[in-house]
Amino acid sequence: MMDYSQAFEISASGMTVEKLRIDVTAVNIANMHSTAAADGTLFRPLRVISRSSLPVFASQFEDGAGEAVYKLRGAQIHAVQELDVPPRSVYEPGNPGADDKGFVALPGVDHVSEMVTLVVALRAYEANVAAMNAARTMAMKALEVGGNQ
Amino acid sequence: MNVEAVAAGLPALGGASAPAGAPGADSLSGFGNWFGQQLSQVNDQLQRADAGLRQLALGDASNLHQVMINLEEARLSFQLLVQVRNRALEAYQEVMRMQV
Repeated sequence: MMDYSQAFEISASGMTVEKLRIDVTAVNIANMHSTAAADGTLFRPLRVISRSSLPVFASQFEDGAGEAVYKLRGAQIHAVQELDVPPRSVYEPGNPGADDKGFVALPGVDHVSEMVTLVVALRAYEANVAAMNAARTMAMKALEVGGNQ
Repeated sequence: MNVEAVAAGLPALGGASAPAGAPGADSLSGFGNWFGQQLSQVNDQLQRADAGLRQLALGDASNLHQVMINLEEARLSFQLLVQVRNRALEAYQEVMRMQV
């Protein structure tokens, strides 16, 4: 069962990363129209930076018997980064957050790219589920070897 | 094919009390022990999956996919156990049908 739980772990790491990407995108979209917080800081769009938890070449090493051992690991979250984008200025004189000219600073969230990230992350999550199901189907098929003869 | 090994394993598979010190008693208890260990491991896994499911039912859906993966792993382990049991039982019945 060890090989199969490894396959499951790899897919699970991918799912965790994509889940965080969805969460962070939801935060960006939710704060699209937020004015500055009570302490005067304006929300800045966030991005998830993921990376492979081990470089591919370093993951291959030899055990004592000289056999190549593949220790594959999945993806991991490297950082959640604040994007340095200029705020949008919207003319809204009635807003309590407006400056003396009547402009309100809103976070520079790019609506279109957030929607694209949403779709891509969702599809990537589905792909991870598909990979996990393939590994599971393989294991179930292996258990059928020699059965029902 | 090593028929001796099969014969040695018979008393344990049948669950009959093997005479202590009889040849093959060691290998018998070997398989029995191993199977018991596997059984308790699978049981642990099932209980873990059950605990995850209970957490989910209580509203803690923070790691939905991990719960599902634990369930799948438990199911696979259980299936493997069932297959091992089927093979062992088949072998036992095969030997019991043997003409003497």
